[in-house]
Amino acid sequence: MISFSQVTKRYPGGHEALSGVSLAIEQGELVFLTGHSGAGKSTLLKLIAAIERPTSGVVSVSGQNISRLSRRAVPYLRRNIGLVFQDHKLLFDRSVIDNVVLPLDIAGFDRRESLKRARAVIDKVGLLNREKANPISLSGGEQQRLCIARALVSRPALLLADEPTGNLDAGYAADIMAMFRDFHQVGTTLVIATHDERAINALGGRTLHLDHGRVEAVPT
Amino acid sequence: MMGWLRHHRQALAAALHRLRLQAATTLLTALAMGVAISLPSGLYLGLSNLARVAGNLPAQPEISLFLDAGASAEQKQALAARLKQPDIAQARFVPRDEALAALSAAQDLTDITAGLTENPLPDAWIVQPRDASRTALARVSDSLGKLPGVAETHLDSQWAERLQAALAIGRTGVWLLGALFAIALIAIAGNAIRAQVLSRRDEILVSRLIGATDRHIRRPFLYLGALQGLFGGLAAGGVLAVAGAILRPPVERLAGLYGSSFHLLPPSGAEIAVVLGLTMLFGWLGAWLTVTRSLHQVEATR
Repeated sequence: MISFSQVTKRYPGGHEALSGVSLAIEQGELVFLTGHSGAGKSTLLKLIAAIERPTSGVVSVSGQNISRLSRRAVPYLRRNIGLVFQDHKLLFDRSVIDNVVLPLDIAGFDRRESLKRARAVIDKVGLLNREKANPISLSGGEQQRLCIARALVSRPALLLADEPTGNLDAGYAADIMAMFRDFHQVGTTLVIATHDERAINALGGRTLHLDHGRVEAVPT
Repeated sequence: MMGWLRHHRQALAAALHRLRLQAATTLLTALAMGVAISLPSGLYLGLSNLARVAGNLPAQPEISLFLDAGASAEQKQALAARLKQPDIAQARFVPRDEALAALSAAQDLTDITAGLTENPLPDAWIVQPRDASRTALARVSDSLGKLPGVAETHLDSQWAERLQAALAIGRTGVWLLGALFAIALIAIAGNAIRAQVLSRRDEILVSRLIGATDRHIRRPFLYLGALQGLFGGLAAGGVLAVAGAILRPPVERLAGLYGSSFHLLPPSGAEIAVVLGLTMLFGWLGAWLTVTRSLHQVEATR
């Protein structure tokens, strides 16, 4: 589903976030990206979602070459990818449910059907009693779960999560990881950047360790 | 198809909502646009009213052909036959009695004409040549003047030409001014939309990240620009209506002094529709330019 071939990403200013990374992730796989901060985990996720383009090498997602993807085609790629951001990227000018319904609105779904789906997913992340609230009034953990709900509402085949349990206490983190396990069990491909060792041990799955922009072999 | 329609309906509703939220800004922008638009369209209105005055006068150049007092019946017939030839568009015979009657009626010279013992005016033809160009006019005038029985020809095209030339300059001016103010309009709309884009940067960014096309993101802003343009056009209509109401009495008094029943005409429905359509178009264009630029800036963070 995802393959990197000799991918290097150099940011303007010369910082090389990834150096000659090659890897492959199969459909339905659960993969953890680990490594200290600045090792290139976020960059790797951004390359998959075409938020960044590789400086050299080939990134391919669902058979599409990301470097060659036109600006016009990017939105359609992203509609199949659920993105969970470390900083949530919620919109504070609308309610919880309106945040979740946004991807469906963008994809042009029927409004009533969208609301139904949004409610189902909000229920799943345990925010149903807050659906009318403004996200600014939610706690950090609740905001994170809202972000996950928004990523899942369009039932993407691929979920990318950047530190989904960062800054969360252990209870919330376990909840969120349990949710990810559920989605993995229904066939969603998950790529999760984290350094939450407990979560990795609890969920199993493959671990890719990044060190200074290179993938290190991890004994399983 | 339904999704497309819904997107448009949502975008329109969102745009209206934004405009209502910022009613004061909307009003100020509409006023700025209105003033900008009212200058070229006011000039256009003034010119078309002026052209109407000119239209009541013979704008088509004419040759006046005065007959010899002693011209024979054959000469008159020969002349009439000559004037039926294809190079003449129209020829009207004015008998001397009719000319005298018209003169005394039109210029209110009854006192003077009544004192005349005989009619001093000759018979005349008013001739419109088919080809109205300067050289053709002179040629026809010359050839007619050489016919027997013709005392004099008079080419009274000069003033009409001058007036037409002046009006043509005026019309060119309208276009020039119109083009300049169209640019101003795009700038005003673009600026107004820029503020909106900046205040919704997060939404644009997040929408892009979760799969919104540029077109989807642009749509509400385009509606915003078009609506702002529409309001600007309506404001211009208001400015012109006020200006017209102020100008009407003095213009009609002036016309009355010339013995004319002239009054200012408001623009036609079609003209109003064209102006509103154009302001909407330019508002839309301004919005398009601004949003497209910001979209590329947002994504340029890569």
